[in-house]
Amino acid sequence: MTHIDPRVHEALDGERPLESLPPDLRAEAERLLEVAALLAAAPVAASVATRVMAHLAEPRPSRLRRLLQWIARPQAVTFHLRPVWSLAVAAALAVFALLPGGGPLELGPEEGIAEFVLPASGAHSVHVAGSFNDWRAGGIALEDRNHDGVWRATVVLPVGQHEYMFVVDGERWVADPNAGRYVDDDFGRENAVLIVRRASR
Amino acid sequence: MLVCAALPLAAQSIRPRLEGRVPAEVIPVIDSIVQAAAADSLPTEPLVQKALEGGAKHVSGDRIVLAVRLRRDRLEAARALLVRAGDSTPVTPLKVTAVATALSRGVPGPTVERVVAGLPGEPHAAALQAVADLLAHKFDPDSSAQLILDAARLGVPHDRFLDVATAAIHEMQRGSTREDALARVRAGLPNLPPPARPAPKGVSDAKRPGV
Repeated sequence: MTHIDPRVHEALDGERPLESLPPDLRAEAERLLEVAALLAAAPVAASVATRVMAHLAEPRPSRLRRLLQWIARPQAVTFHLRPVWSLAVAAALAVFALLPGGGPLELGPEEGIAEFVLPASGAHSVHVAGSFNDWRAGGIALEDRNHDGVWRATVVLPVGQHEYMFVVDGERWVADPNAGRYVDDDFGRENAVLIVRRASR
Repeated sequence: MLVCAALPLAAQSIRPRLEGRVPAEVIPVIDSIVQAAAADSLPTEPLVQKALEGGAKHVSGDRIVLAVRLRRDRLEAARALLVRAGDSTPVTPLKVTAVATALSRGVPGPTVERVVAGLPGEPHAAALQAVADLLAHKFDPDSSAQLILDAARLGVPHDRFLDVATAAIHEMQRGSTREDALARVRAGLPNLPPPARPAPKGVSDAKRPGV
């Protein structure tokens, strides 16, 4: 504990003027007065009860706001995963990525794109059948997405020459009026001829 | 069992493919036509396709058999034409089918022979498709064949022969006579306008049909 000279005490208590102190004691008394002034200026710490009551009085944020705050706030996420499970998860992700339709369409070197279009207002369904799908009448459906009577389908087909016809409402076989290439089908009608070219050129 | 194993694969698999798709009573007849074609080294898939097509179109069994026989005859004629044209490479089913299709599309036999003889040892399908496209727009057969052979001689790759025909058709549609259209395209060879490509949206929308 630091010893304070009794004369300094007397000066701090106002019982003795500061000027009457020797220079060294006077400097010490002035320093102590400055410290006392600083302590007097510091805010008074609130009691625990006051602080709890103040917190309870604050309005609670809405669920949405708390959710947004939770999302926006950086969070440390830690997984404790056994190596065997990490391998299983990696394998599952790889299988998912390789599933057909799981990503952007990849064309093979011997594949191309064909777009079928048939204006058929009033039709309930339009399909295309041809040598590319063993002439299955219900295999490839065209869609009238814009409800303007124009039916369309974009299909990946093998490169080469194919014959086809449209099947309207499941029973009416119709030649493609816009094909530009036709061949006698030997059954009294004409098949349209489609030449599919490589798309990956 | 041994007989079955000795049969070509196409001949073995035909009945299951036709069952339920064509009238049952003609399946044995079609099967025998296909087996005979396989034994004769003719392509069999066009015969199967013709039968399936007839069944899908609800054509009577008799007419289906007739159409399959007609196609078999065309394939035989196509093979004979290839041999006559002096095709030095083995006569493959693909070549026979390409020639038969060209004949079906109205390309005269002599024109087909000229194209085959003009492209010795090369695939003919693309050249014959291009000539057939020109003939469909009433271009002269000999001049059409000559244009495609000129394109080949000037280094135009096979997969662009169709673009040669398309360029001539476009010239004609812009008002040139057919002769002038062929001459203009020939003068520009081997340069050609870029081929039409499917729109990116179309590509992303494309579906792969299951057979």
